[in-house]
Amino acid sequence: MTAEPYAAASGLVERSAAAYAAAVPEHPGDDGFFGPASVTWRVTADLSAPVAGLRSLLMQALHPLAMAGVDQHSNWRLDPVGRLAATSAYEATVTFGDRASASRVAQQVQKIHTRVRGTDTVTGQPYAAGDPALLLWVHAALVDSALAAGQLFGTPLTEADADAYVAEMRIAAELLGVPREIIPGSVAALGEYIAGVRPVLQCTPAAAESMGYLLDPPGLDEDIAELWQDIRDAAIIALPGWARELYGYPEPGPLTAERRTEIRQALGVLDAVFLGEPGVLEARQRLTLRMRSAGKA
Amino acid sequence: MNTETRRVQARRLAIGAVAGGVSIAALTLLRGKAGRLRDGKAGRLRDGKAGRLRDGKPGTGRLRLARGLATVRLAARGGARYAASAPRLFTSAGEHRQQLRNDLALQTAEDVASTLGAMKGVLMKLGQMASYVDNGLAPGARRTLSRLQDSVPPMSPELAAQVITEELGLPPEEAFATWDPEPIAAASIGQVHRAITHDGRAVAVKVQYPGIAETIEADLGNVALLRRMLKISAPQQDVDALLAELRERITEELDYSLEARNQQLFARFYAGHPTINVPEVVEELSTRRVITSDLADGARFAELASWSQAERDLAAETIYRFVFRSLYEAHAFNGDPHPGNYLFHGGGRVTFLDFGLVKHYSTDELAPLVAMVKHLCVENDPEAFRRAMEDAGFLMPGAPLPTDMIVEHMALFYDTVRERGPRTMTEDYASAVTRRFFDFRSPLAEYVQIPRSYVVLQRINLGLFALLAELSATADWRCIAEEIWPFVQAPPCTPMGAAEAAWRAAKSGASTQERSA
Repeated sequence: MTAEPYAAASGLVERSAAAYAAAVPEHPGDDGFFGPASVTWRVTADLSAPVAGLRSLLMQALHPLAMAGVDQHSNWRLDPVGRLAATSAYEATVTFGDRASASRVAQQVQKIHTRVRGTDTVTGQPYAAGDPALLLWVHAALVDSALAAGQLFGTPLTEADADAYVAEMRIAAELLGVPREIIPGSVAALGEYIAGVRPVLQCTPAAAESMGYLLDPPGLDEDIAELWQDIRDAAIIALPGWARELYGYPEPGPLTAERRTEIRQALGVLDAVFLGEPGVLEARQRLTLRMRSAGKA
Repeated sequence: MNTETRRVQARRLAIGAVAGGVSIAALTLLRGKAGRLRDGKAGRLRDGKAGRLRDGKPGTGRLRLARGLATVRLAARGGARYAASAPRLFTSAGEHRQQLRNDLALQTAEDVASTLGAMKGVLMKLGQMASYVDNGLAPGARRTLSRLQDSVPPMSPELAAQVITEELGLPPEEAFATWDPEPIAAASIGQVHRAITHDGRAVAVKVQYPGIAETIEADLGNVALLRRMLKISAPQQDVDALLAELRERITEELDYSLEARNQQLFARFYAGHPTINVPEVVEELSTRRVITSDLADGARFAELASWSQAERDLAAETIYRFVFRSLYEAHAFNGDPHPGNYLFHGGGRVTFLDFGLVKHYSTDELAPLVAMVKHLCVENDPEAFRRAMEDAGFLMPGAPLPTDMIVEHMALFYDTVRERGPRTMTEDYASAVTRRFFDFRSPLAEYVQIPRSYVVLQRINLGLFALLAELSATADWRCIAEEIWPFVQAPPCTPMGAAEAAWRAAKSGASTQERSA
């Protein structure tokens, strides 16, 4: 295991907010790959999004080769907050940006991926970040997490909308070079795919260490840290039982209505803080306006 | 803005918000019986001495409050930046922004719930309360915080009409002779519309967001998150008392009928006053969610910057008279003197708006405060002043401090009324008062506290002076105070004082006539 320490997580909210605000375009050339009438826009704007984000990192990290790529190549240890902010910015640009911006950032990521190659020390297997199989896992974990977090803590989707979301999101994986025919296009297909990958998933030391950091990031403001406890619990509650087992997290009790409300309140407070960061409110307003006019049309 | 500036600003905001937050804790206990937090002046808690005072264990108070206020700090922090980055509601110039607000308008009760649910409505109220009570904030940040409520979009005309129909039993076009569907201002969890009643009165109708009361009450009904943030070393009953007070306080503000009663009380008290105008409430068109009162129009506080100094002095004199006349004679204090709640009409005439946070005092509660002023400023009797401070609960009896030290410390708060002669309220004085108020390293800090009934009055020290300083107002404050002090009742010393004396004479004549009739 690498001895390099992780940098403190201070500035997590500020930097994510700045990345988000900058990624939501002021004068988009078109409606992008999803558009204001899409289910994806609604899901991405849901209150449960931070839980979805954390759960998706927990899921992604269970793939040893995906984890190795992050651990050995990115600036993850030196600047975890910067890495997370960059990821948020990427996701926001792909979701809300126009087609040109989304394609541009996807090409940039693909270019970075070509340099990310190596051998995982745990499994001894070679990996390449551009490998469609790895990219597909990262994609599926994200889509599955948005559905799970929304179902438990946000505004649950109808079955039809959930299927539409999975189908809409295929383009996000395609932009990074995953062939369309292997990308799940429905909730059922997504479930089958995840079940199929399960045998290779494991909690490597790098995953345990990274996720330990994420669940209890040092250097957070005291008030944010207080809220983070709820986000963390919510993400763990939203994990599949087998994933909790791999990490060795204790099985949480049943989610009571009171606990759900408490978590939603924490999400609301966090959202208010986020909204208070420069530019975030304006970005939200830009999206709301576009979603409203799409709804009227 | 560079990172260092941002960091400094953020820290300043945080410090201010903590100070505001402490007074929320105290404010919520204003009317509670329990509450060991009531001796909670910010600094003693911050340096841990409160804990020692209370139970002999240093530091517990600090820890408890520091943790307990996390939510409030967040409210203030989020709120301040939220408001700063939001287009100012209604008052902002330019059609584009107005259009933007319209396009973002809340269209359904579900929109209200998603905008203000999940604690956001509660945070807004907390932030608003913090901004009312006191502050260690720079004036800019204080104003920003108080504008938090402006950052929520208005209701669509249809949604506002729906509330009117539910509350008054008739759609607005029938409940009123004329109804303007475009709101003219943001209000606490609602918005204000212009209308004309069937008997021809031009009125302002404040309409509450539908479902907001239920949304906030639901969040206050599940206090697990708040409880966790409060419950560190506090005994369970303290947390419960605090939460109960918080809930009661906020729930009270959700009910406009209480505010209507308070406004009517002030309106009646000041009826016919030469410079003070409080719009009268139309009771038959007011409910829990709607307040209808006489329409007033005038210049906003910000516009006074372009007025002559003489006009600003007169406006300041009116505000000063209003605060102290209300306190000493009507035994009521309107705890919401933020700049948005005044309209200025020139010649010193001021309209006072928003009576959502009014504290009433009994004669017994006011007596020690009156005694303090009297002993310090008129009779110049330090020992009697000290005893009055103890009676009021400001000073621990038997504190091992020389009296002259106490007097020297406290005198700053009375500085503008200790001697006759014109004085200009300056930013320097206002910030010196604020610094002294929050000076927790002072040897007095350990022995001085603010009893809960007087917490709201700290707006005088921390809010009123800052407001008057922004006007650079000059007056012989001592002379005006002597007119108002019940133990002096000096003859008028300004033209406004003379006009006020005539009003009071007519008023008491009228009430004598009423009684003898």
